[in-house]
Amino acid sequence: MNHPMETDDALPLECENLERFLGQEEARVHVLRGVSLALQRGYTHAVVGPSGCGKSSLLYILGLLDRPDAGQLAIGGRPVAGLRDDELSRQRNELLGFIFQFHFLLQDFTALENIMIPMRQLGRWNEPTMRDRAAHLLDAVGLGNKLHRPSRHLSGGEQQRVAIARALANDPEVILADEPTGNLYTANSTRVFTLLTELVRRENKALLLVTHNPAIASACDWVLTMSDGQIVEQQYNPRDRESDKSDHVGE
Amino acid sequence: MRPSLYIGLRFTVSRKRSLLFSLLGVIFGVAFYIVLQAQTQGFEQYFIKTILGTSGAIVVSDRYQNRYTTFDNAQGGTVMSGQQRRKYYEGITDAAEIMRVARQFPNVLACAPLVQGNITARGDFQTEIMTVQGIDLELQLRATALRDQIIAGNLNDFRVNPSGLMLGSLLADKLQLKVGDNVTLLGNGGERKAMTLSAVFRSGVNAIDERRGYVTTRVAQALLEKPSMISQIIVTLRDPDRAPAMSMHFERLFGHRARSWQEREQGNLQVFSTLRISAAITVSLIIMLAGALIFNTLTMTVLDKVREIAILRSMGYRRLDITVVFVFQGFIIATLGSILGAGFGALLTYGISQIPIKVRGVLYADRFLVAWDVHHYIYAAIIAFFAVLTASYFPARRAANLAPVDILRGSGQ
Repeated sequence: MNHPMETDDALPLECENLERFLGQEEARVHVLRGVSLALQRGYTHAVVGPSGCGKSSLLYILGLLDRPDAGQLAIGGRPVAGLRDDELSRQRNELLGFIFQFHFLLQDFTALENIMIPMRQLGRWNEPTMRDRAAHLLDAVGLGNKLHRPSRHLSGGEQQRVAIARALANDPEVILADEPTGNLYTANSTRVFTLLTELVRRENKALLLVTHNPAIASACDWVLTMSDGQIVEQQYNPRDRESDKSDHVGE
Repeated sequence: MRPSLYIGLRFTVSRKRSLLFSLLGVIFGVAFYIVLQAQTQGFEQYFIKTILGTSGAIVVSDRYQNRYTTFDNAQGGTVMSGQQRRKYYEGITDAAEIMRVARQFPNVLACAPLVQGNITARGDFQTEIMTVQGIDLELQLRATALRDQIIAGNLNDFRVNPSGLMLGSLLADKLQLKVGDNVTLLGNGGERKAMTLSAVFRSGVNAIDERRGYVTTRVAQALLEKPSMISQIIVTLRDPDRAPAMSMHFERLFGHRARSWQEREQGNLQVFSTLRISAAITVSLIIMLAGALIFNTLTMTVLDKVREIAILRSMGYRRLDITVVFVFQGFIIATLGSILGAGFGALLTYGISQIPIKVRGVLYADRFLVAWDVHHYIYAAIIAFFAVLTASYFPARRAANLAPVDILRGSGQ
């Protein structure tokens, strides 16, 4: 029997009634209270809300880095509940791209090598193809001239752009980002967001990003407002998707 | 290259100081193991080689007779009770037949009969009590290393001269004799023989070199007044390690006492065995220290890399991959440490073997004796791999079991 969320034209990522508690006994906090959402291909989704409302916790569960205490989660229409850790790892590698607020690059590797790390685990491409692809991605984020620079010698903004390129390395269906432009100057912030938006629309991927930046949020197709562990509002921003270049982001 | 191996390699080379400290621990551990084994076994093997080359693996000697207590039981029969001490009869009965049968055993390489006893040797200036062995030279040469032990004179003089005599080097020194000198041998019963010193030998075991001399079987039998007596048969084996089992078998088969070299030299061998255990304890402590160093280093690496571990997990690396990343670092250290340690150990062993040292106690040697044995290197590598991989495994498991989300929640720039 198929799962209720399984359909022929499955959504790339969806969840129903996610519950999550953190801490023990008196310190136990109910951080997610029945969160449901569905990401659509070709659309950008922003999650906004005050600090501590559960945005990052939601992102970690959607990114298969944490398990919910209740509720259901499906990627590409396939439920992930009960999957073994190895299978969750495989799905993270193949289907999800994660961008953290603090880039988290491997300091002992160059920019190019950092991008090739998820590709090596995927095992889909040979070494020259991986190199070409990594170089292309770095070029796209404006670091085509810093391929072989050790990541510890890049500025914070450059490291974040490498992290974004790394999230795209395995051509994931879904990109999850935790304040990806939080540490970037306006120009870079715009450039990165434009890159992500164009990629999502061109490649028909889904982007969910957590942000405190109202300009970025308003430039997304959907804005999900969270408060006290719940999605209290979902707002759709209809726009001319062909001509919209999100030039105003970060201003 | 598998991704986790690639990452493990990069993590290892990126921490050069930690790598160096860990490597030094393994290199010294492996090298010390090799050097200590080479030293202790060097003296031991030299001693065993000398013993085997001088007195063979098995010595068959006096005939024995089992004795039992008998008594009459109530039914009028005779019952044999517990065995009492054996009764020994000096010498071997039908030595030729015993040697013929012994040679049928595939493990037996050679047999040599001899007659032995104590007599007095008188030179021009000195008189000494000595142990004379009457030998059949050709059989003796086949069964012992006598040919290689000659340091003065030659065997042919002994072969062609019925009055020829060979003396141990220390005995010849005590008697102040050189090759060609005349010696008078006096039997305990007053028998006297004028002999010529044909050759001087050095077995390397002082107890032999300061007391033993060789003459022909007939001369010895005459001096000891034991015509046609054979005191012992020396048996040389292809595999001397099997001597204890074969000597027990010979004893039952021939009805004569048969003693293996391990039994005869039990006291000396125990000293070597104690030395080897002492060396093993020292080396184990060194290798354990190296293991602790590596455990500490890798634990520090894990703590240092928690964020990287979380990132790798977020990119789809499995727990097993993370374990491999860190165990592989241990593998690199163990491999490099074993190779470099083996080279360093060989260098040290060679250096030690060149140290001039006058050993004149149980053994005779002019420099440090070392054993070159590939097994020392293999065992050292096995111990190093075991210690290092064990020391790597626990930090690796710890790394693999870290929950990425906990690290990511608590991490900031």
